Amino acid sequence: MMPWYALLPLAALAFALGWWACRYASARRSGAAVNELSSDYFRGLNYLLNEEQDKAIEVFLRLAEYNRDTVETHLALGNLFRRRGEVDRAIRLHQHLVSRPNLSEPTKTVALLELGEDYMRAGLLDRAEALFADLVAMNAHAPSALRHLIAIYQHERDWNKAIEHARRLETMTGEDESPMIAQFYCELAERSRQHGARVEARDYLEQAFRCQSDCVRAWMLTGRLHAEDGHHAEAVQAYEAAIGADIAFVPEILPPLLNSYACSQQMDRAERFLRGLLERYHGISPVLALTRLYQQRDGQREAVGFLTGQLRQRPSVRGLMALIDATMDRIEGEARENFLILRDLTRKLLEGQAMYRCSRCGFGAKAHHWQCPSCKSWSTIRPIHGVANE
Amino acid sequence: MRLIVIFVLVFFAAAGLVVGALNAGLVDYDFAFAQVQLPKGAALLAALVLGWLLGGLTAWLGVSLRHRRRKKEAGKKQVHA
Repeated sequence: MMPWYALLPLAALAFALGWWACRYASARRSGAAVNELSSDYFRGLNYLLNEEQDKAIEVFLRLAEYNRDTVETHLALGNLFRRRGEVDRAIRLHQHLVSRPNLSEPTKTVALLELGEDYMRAGLLDRAEALFADLVAMNAHAPSALRHLIAIYQHERDWNKAIEHARRLETMTGEDESPMIAQFYCELAERSRQHGARVEARDYLEQAFRCQSDCVRAWMLTGRLHAEDGHHAEAVQAYEAAIGADIAFVPEILPPLLNSYACSQQMDRAERFLRGLLERYHGISPVLALTRLYQQRDGQREAVGFLTGQLRQRPSVRGLMALIDATMDRIEGEARENFLILRDLTRKLLEGQAMYRCSRCGFGAKAHHWQCPSCKSWSTIRPIHGVANE
Repeated sequence: MRLIVIFVLVFFAAAGLVVGALNAGLVDYDFAFAQVQLPKGAALLAALVLGWLLGGLTAWLGVSLRHRRRKKEAGKKQVHA
């Protein structure tokens, strides 16, 4: 009779085979899942990089269906929806994420931040404000939430709250926000000036100078306040200080500065200042100002001579137009007709030109804005230097 | 393909029947509290099936425990991130 333990080697062999079969099957199963996931992920990424957002959304939606626990995929999808302008879908997705009971606290706050951005994009500023305020109170993603809050208050033109939150952001991150805060004070000063509260306007300007001592806008507003009060000598000083603070704003500052020079009868000082400016500034505005000054003081011939000499050094369409205007009176007949055509042409050329450009986002504007209408950054819109511009 | 599988299954069933018929003798088992006698073929089959099942179970437990541990570690990392 065969002893029972003779079967042990067979049982051990069966054990080994069973163990190996199970491992092989599970490895195949997980490998297939990972391959499918990662190939989908990379396909989605590829669509994103090729700016094919529709296809990317399709792939990511399938990924999210495949693994409902993947919060990152949901967040990426929400972002994509928002960027495509499908804000309602982004809001639904983020709301669904936030309402998940098993979500960890950090992930939940990320979803809340995203939801706040969705609300902002949808124009539901009150809801966005409440969400961001909650995040700041929770001290979760506080710098981002504060930045969004500041953007909301700027949009609502609630400058006092914008200043308060900018200061909080400054203490939280250690980054210098004083140029932006100075702009907020300038907005307050401008509003007070328009309402006739001149003392209040001066107080706000003082605060602006405390934030940024070389704030061009504050200097320009100071000059304007002085000029409106009839204190043209002080206005001249303020405008000159504005040019000293940032020479790029010469085209903006020169017209009121020349007016104050004229009102305070300081035309010699004006000439000296403009002559000095010609050395430092390579635009056409000081040349045109000096031409007008020479025209009034010394006559047309001297003015045209000066302008012609300067145009050789700094060719400019605006300068050419001024030259045509100045010489028009002395020309008659067919040449006059030709000059008229030339003048119309240059005028049309200038009409279509953007005179200012945002140094941050490249937004082109015909008029000057202190805050870029496109990227919302402050003091980045500057005059364009070129033949057809400044 | 299906035909091949059926053929292989029939072959193994026939082989099992033949081996079972040729090994009709009994094997003695003494479990201290009880003594059992089983046919040789049945004992062989039982040893193979039990070995296979135990091997599979061990491997499955090892894999699933490792997966659970990794998932827990990933959750902790997400909280700290």
